This record gives sequence, structure tokens and C-alpha cells, in this order.
Amino acid sequence: MRNDAPPARPIVTISDLVIEFRTRRQRVRALDGASLSVAEGEKVGLVGESGSGKSTLALSLARLLPTNAEHVSGDLTVAGKSIFAMDTASLRAVRRRTLSYVFQDPIGTLDPTMRVGRQISSVLNGVSQRSAVASSLLEVGLTDHKRIARSYPHELSGGMAQRVSIAVALAAKPQVVIADEPTASLDASIRAQILDLLVSLCAGHGTALVLLSHDLRAIAHYCERVAVMYGGRVVEDGPTANVFSEPFHPYSRALMKAAPGQERLGGRIEPIPGVPPILGGREERCTFAPRCRFALESCHSERPGEQRTAGRRVICHRVEGGLPPLPR
Amino acid sequence: MTPAIELRSVGVRYSSGPLWARRHVQAMEDVSFQIAAGETLGLVGESGSGKSTTGKVCLGLVRPTQGQVSFDGAPFASRRTTRGRLAAVLQHPQWSLNPRLHVGMSVAEPLAINQSSSSEERRRVVASMLERVGLEPSLAKRYPHQLSGGQRQRVAIARALVTHPRFIVFDEAVSALDVSVQAQILNLIRELQEQAGFAALFISHDLAAVRYIAKRVAVMYAGSIVELATAATFYARGLHPYSRGLQAASDLIDEPDARLSGLTEDVVREGCALTPRCPLAFDKCGRERPELRPLDGDLVACHRAGGA
Amino acid sequence: MKLPFANDRLSQAGTLVLLLLIALGVFAPLLPIGDPEAIGAGPRLSPPSTEFPLGTDNLGRPMMARIFEGILLTFVLSTIAVLIAGVVGAVIGMIAAYVHHVLDEVISRFADMLFSFPPVLLGLLVTTILAPGIQSAIAAIVLITLPAMVRVVRAATLEVARRDFVVVAEVVGASFGRRLFLHLFPNVAGVVAVQTAYSISLGMLIESALSFLGLGVQPPNASLGSLMREGATYLEIAPWLAFGPGAFLAAAILSVNLFGDGLRAVVDPLEPRPLQ
Repeated sequence: MRNDAPPARPIVTISDLVIEFRTRRQRVRALDGASLSVAEGEKVGLVGESGSGKSTLALSLARLLPTNAEHVSGDLTVAGKSIFAMDTASLRAVRRRTLSYVFQDPIGTLDPTMRVGRQISSVLNGVSQRSAVASSLLEVGLTDHKRIARSYPHELSGGMAQRVSIAVALAAKPQVVIADEPTASLDASIRAQILDLLVSLCAGHGTALVLLSHDLRAIAHYCERVAVMYGGRVVEDGPTANVFSEPFHPYSRALMKAAPGQERLGGRIEPIPGVPPILGGREERCTFAPRCRFALESCHSERPGEQRTAGRRVICHRVEGGLPPLPR
Repeated sequence: MTPAIELRSVGVRYSSGPLWARRHVQAMEDVSFQIAAGETLGLVGESGSGKSTTGKVCLGLVRPTQGQVSFDGAPFASRRTTRGRLAAVLQHPQWSLNPRLHVGMSVAEPLAINQSSSSEERRRVVASMLERVGLEPSLAKRYPHQLSGGQRQRVAIARALVTHPRFIVFDEAVSALDVSVQAQILNLIRELQEQAGFAALFISHDLAAVRYIAKRVAVMYAGSIVELATAATFYARGLHPYSRGLQAASDLIDEPDARLSGLTEDVVREGCALTPRCPLAFDKCGRERPELRPLDGDLVACHRAGGA
Repeated sequence: MKLPFANDRLSQAGTLVLLLLIALGVFAPLLPIGDPEAIGAGPRLSPPSTEFPLGTDNLGRPMMARIFEGILLTFVLSTIAVLIAGVVGAVIGMIAAYVHHVLDEVISRFADMLFSFPPVLLGLLVTTILAPGIQSAIAAIVLITLPAMVRVVRAATLEVARRDFVVVAEVVGASFGRRLFLHLFPNVAGVVAVQTAYSISLGMLIESALSFLGLGVQPPNASLGSLMREGATYLEIAPWLAFGPGAFLAAAILSVNLFGDGLRAVVDPLEPRPLQ
């Protein structure tokens, strides 16, 4: 048992999950033993570049992966039940009641042929009164709820549509909301409003939030815990403040150093050399080693294991070997 | 020294709809700025602020309905006069290159249009250009779909630089890239500018990227420039409430009462366009349109700025 | 050997049938099936037999030879017409999308007008103006398939013209011709090819309809439509005369459409190919 476990019981547990995609020419391993747990009501940020596996991880939660994806090994439980062992009926129940998603493109997510009001009432578990629809629209800050309920998605602005899709996502009072780049297509000022709303609503309902974003500042601002993904694994996972102030994994450090905005004006940022890996199968070394400034010999030859230290889980040979922390 | 590009009171009005029910949108109004050789002006604002239109005007893709654009001291007459001296790097790495042409041909295109060099010479220039942007010269024989997004954006930069232009517009050039690739490209742009000395307009909604690349920042709202300041002033806090709002929203400053309220669709006909969203608005803002005025060497269009 | 349309059995089958039909038409004179114009080569109106697998017509000519001749004529006529429509339509469509919105408006409305005519009515109109014959059949097919070609090319061009590489080409001073033929055309060529394939089947149908009405191919030439017209007279006593050409026409149209489906899947002109 982990001694640093949060007091609340976990609602999502992912352990050593391996997912592969078959394409005509090759197999691509999107997740290579990813582990993560999310406690009830917890706000977890998931960061990583494209190809790191974060979207695959997010979609695995409700088994929404495309048909060429294959669950190779490992397990994923939601509310104590294994998602991959579930029959269709209980999977549908999970998708309806336990989990919900907020995606990047709100207008594309909503049904273009259905008025907003009906879309919300259809997820309200049969409760179709106007008042319930109105209150869920009011809850997401849409005071003009009568007009909005009558509108079609394409008649709304991006920010309004994202509010509606948050209302839809939260209407069934799920236990976990997975938000995949929910503000990437919105303007900066609206971005903050939407994230404020999402986070405060989740807090109000006691809903756990998994926020996928490439915006490190947003993650630092809104999430209490952050998980950094690289090469299909969660390479570092811990309280946001600690991970951001003193990253243990060289990739976490490199990611933060590469983001502009934290350097002094006119200073330089340090790009990460090279490109992220595309895995063909189980990797028997650290996938970050070729790009890592701090790589040891063992990094190129041995698969690093998981270390728990100071409230964090890290997958790195340096931490495993008890080497001194990374330079700032 | 003549600025590489200068806009004087430029306005752009788009018209649409049938003749009997014409609708007009003022996409740009009274925009003036100049960019000197070797300098980068950052241009920020939300969607609909007119920053893309400004980029298009600078590239000669949109004709201003008012004001003048001069390029190297001479009015922008035709494409022929700007050939080889004007270039652009645009947003979408997946669309930046013609999928049917190999990379070498795309990079050589501006040279081929000028017809000032033999094809042998062009091949040599392309190879050295690819090397300068950090790519293998052998990539010239590949097709765009064989490259990653970051590589394609490097090729787009090589194509922009191949004629040694005086002025380059970067329109959201790093927005679609991942953090680590974005950092590589930002550093590349900075290095190349130091070497080649071109003037640049860097348009982005990403304040952090602009902060990294630009010495001066222009902030646009509702088609007008509301602040034109050095990066030091702007990123210290900014002079205009809108600048502060933008920064608060992207968490570059933590100032709760700087947050902008309302939606961007609010249209204001009289006074300052920001009035309905502004935390500092007072009665004068609703009546009188603030002019862009100097304040400690920077420019700002706000009744409140400077302690008033 | 690597077959085209991998993983698409239906398109492969369609392509195979299409090639077979064309080969039968081309090599018919070399096959031991008789001379299509030899009157009295066999008994009149004889049903299918070992000597005349598809029977003989009212003048005793072997139907198989006549049908194979007809396939080739129908296919060639339609292809010539559609290629003309393809070239003209591609140019008009690209110009509509890329030159000026007023010109676009004019061209689009004109295409709509042509499109709204029932195809056979348009064909009748053309053939009555130009007098029945092969040329007027071609003209009719061009006119009927042109509007769809223009529309499809116009839509694809609008999409491609917004792409960054076309905008950048304009910025660096590429001439109109260069943008049109180096940047736009190669990226809409796939759409043109697919639309051409589909139009060929429509063209075959129109040619047959016109010839069936006696307005297209005139005797002694034979196309599938004119054969069906002749066969229709004897439908009650010699149904094979109409059914034979009809079945071959159906097979030809189906195979052209399947080929078109395969082509569409391969040539996906609007999306960059995914990274491997």
C-alpha cells in the first residue's frame, strides 16, 4: 500500500496498462505500462506531447478506443469495476452515469441536428422538465437559458457551446469528468472563464476531474496533482506545486524549461532536442534516454521501474539510484 | 533608416451581402505602426480583433480601404515590386507545403519565381538553407507527408528565408506545435533573425511565445491598436486594461480584478469598444473614443491610463 | 504483383470486369464469334445456342459479335465525351473558385441551370438541334456531365485555395498560371479523376438512352442502346435480343462505378496522407 495515498478512495485506477494500435504496416504501442489513480473529487492534470499516450489513456477510461486498438495487458478500473472485463450493458451504464467527457471542439461534440435543451434533457436520466434543463444551463453561467435551450449548436459561439457541453457532461452527476484540451480552440480570456467554471462545478459536485492540456500554466493553476506522460507511461506523478517547483524526472524538467513565459524577459528557453519516440512494442530501456541530458548508462539498457519518493511516483533510473536531484 | 514596413492610418472595411442589404464590418481602423530591419513586433489580441487582417494587409493579400502601407519606404504597388523581399510563415504545418511537390521544390519556389538563378544554383541554395534551419539537405527529395509537423514548419521557414527578405510575417507560426518543438522553432526564428536581420511581424494569441520573440508588442481590440509598448512595459503589467485582462487570462500576471468580463461579441458604436467588459470603465469611456496617445515612450488608447 | 485498391475486393473485381469488357470489345474481330455485319450468317432470330451463344438478330447476324462491338462504341463514346467534360469542367471549376466571386456566381448559377434539366430531356434537345448521330451524342454527354464536374472541382479548389501553401505562393509573387497549374490543379486532380470515372458510367447510360430513342448511334454502327432498340421490337418472340445488351450495359456501368469507388479511396486529394 502506498503510505502517501490521499484519504479519499480511488475512483479510477489504471495499472500497468498496455494498449497497441494495429495499422496496415505496423503495430504501434500507445501505452506501454501506464499507471495512474484518481481519487474521488480529485483534480488531476495530465501533460505530455502528442504521441505521449495521454489521449489514448483518456479514451481508454470509457473504452472509447477505435476498433484497431488492442488491450494487451494491465487493468483499468472505474468505481472498482474493470472496464475491459465489462459487458456492453454495464459499460453503457458507466458511460452514462460514472464518466463523462469534455472535448476540444464543443460545436463538433454536440449533436448538430438537436436543440441544446433536448440534448441536455436526454442525459438527465429521463427527467425532462424544462426547469431541470434551465437550472443546468444556469449552473454553467448561461443566464439567457430560454434562448440557448432553443438554439442549435452552430448558433452558439465557441465559449457558449463549451459551456453547454460542460452542462451536458455534468448533467448526469458523474463521478469523473475527463476534459481533453477543453479550451484549446478558445480565446485566452474565455479560456480562463471556462476552466474556472469547469473546476468549480466539479468541486461543487464532488466530481473528480482529469484535465488534459499542453498548457502547463493552466495545469499548475487548477490541478492539485499532475501526471507527466512520455513514451506511453506516466513518468512522474505528484502534487502540482512540488512537481513544478522541483521536477524529479528529467523529462518533466525539460518540458517546463521548454515552455516560454517562465524565462526572464529576453532570456532563452531550452528546447528538448530530438523527437518523441513511436514505440513498436515493449521498450527495454528508458524511452527518454536518447533526449536526456542526465542519462546514465543503465538508462539505455534497462527498463526503469517505478519509484515512490516524497509523495511522488517517478519512473527514472536516476531516482532509482538515489542520485542527487536535478539542477534547477 | 527607413522602416522595412510602415502602416499609416490603415483601415479595412469588409462588405458582404446583396447590394440592397449591404453589411459592413470594420476589420481594421486607423492602424499605424512601423517595423525596422532586425526588429520583431508582436501582435496580440483575441479572435476577431483584426490581427489576422493586419497580417494580410502587410502581406498585400488585403487592400486597405483607408490609409497607406509602405514597404521599404515606397508605397505597396504590386507583387512585382515586393518579389523576394516579402515572405510569410503561416499557421498550419500540415498545409504549409504543397503535398504534390517535394520539399526542395517548395523551398526553391521564391527563387524560381524571381528567375534570377540557374536551377543548379537553386539546388545549392536550398541545401544550405535546409542546413541553416537544422534539417538534413537530403530532405529536399522528400514529400511533405514524410515529415513531422516541426520539420514542415522548419521547411516553411527555410522557404521564407531563401530570398533574404526584408520583412517576414509569422502568423500563428508556432501555435499548432507541441511544447518542445515550439521551443526549437522559437529559438530558430530568433537565431535566424540575428543573422539575417529581417524585420518581422509575429502574430499570435500566445502571449508567452510573443514575449519570447518580440521586443515591442501591439495589442489589438475590435480592429484598433489599443496599446503599442515595449515588451518590458507590456509584460510588466501593460498600460491598457485589455492588456492586463489578456495577461491575467493566460496567467502571466496574477491580478484578480484585471479579468475581463463578458463576451467578445459585444459591439460598441460609441466611445471605447472595451467599455462593457472593462473593470475600470467610467462614464467618459462610454461617450468618448480614446485616442492612441504617448505615455512614457509607449502608446496607449485608454482614458484611465497614466492615472487619469 | 501488387494489385491496385489493396483491401478493396469489390473495387478490384469491378476493375477486372471493366478491363475484361474493354478487351472483349477491342479484340472482338479476332475472336471466333462471327462478323457482326454478316447478314444471314445464321438463321434469323435464333435463340442462344452453341453456335450463337447469344442468339442472332432479325437479319441473322451473330448477337455476341454485335454486342461486343456495341460495348466498345458505347464505352469509347462516353469516355471521349467525359474526358472533354473533365478538361473543360476542371478549368471552369478552378476559375470559378479562384478568380473572382462575381464570376463564380455567374458560373455556379449557369451550372445549376444545366443541372436542373432532366438529363434525357437535355439530350433530346441537343440531338434535335444538332441532328442525330455520334457527335450529338457526345455533345449531349458533355453538357450533362459538365455541371457536376464544375461543382466538384469548384468545391475542391475553394478548399485547396485556403491552404497556407497557396497563400504563401501568392505572397512571394507566384503568377496566376503558376498558382493554378502548380499548386491548385495537382491537388484537385484526384477529384477530377474520380468524378470522371463516375461520369463515364452516367455517359454510357445517356448514350444508350439516346441510341435507344434512335437519336444517338445510327445503323450500321451498333451501340448497346441501339441494339436494345432493335431488340425491343422483338421482345415478345426473341427477348434475348434486348436482354443481352441490357445485361452487358448493367455490368459495364456497375464495374465503372466500382472502379470509381476504389479510385476515390486511393486518391484522397483533400487530406495530406497520414504520417507513418
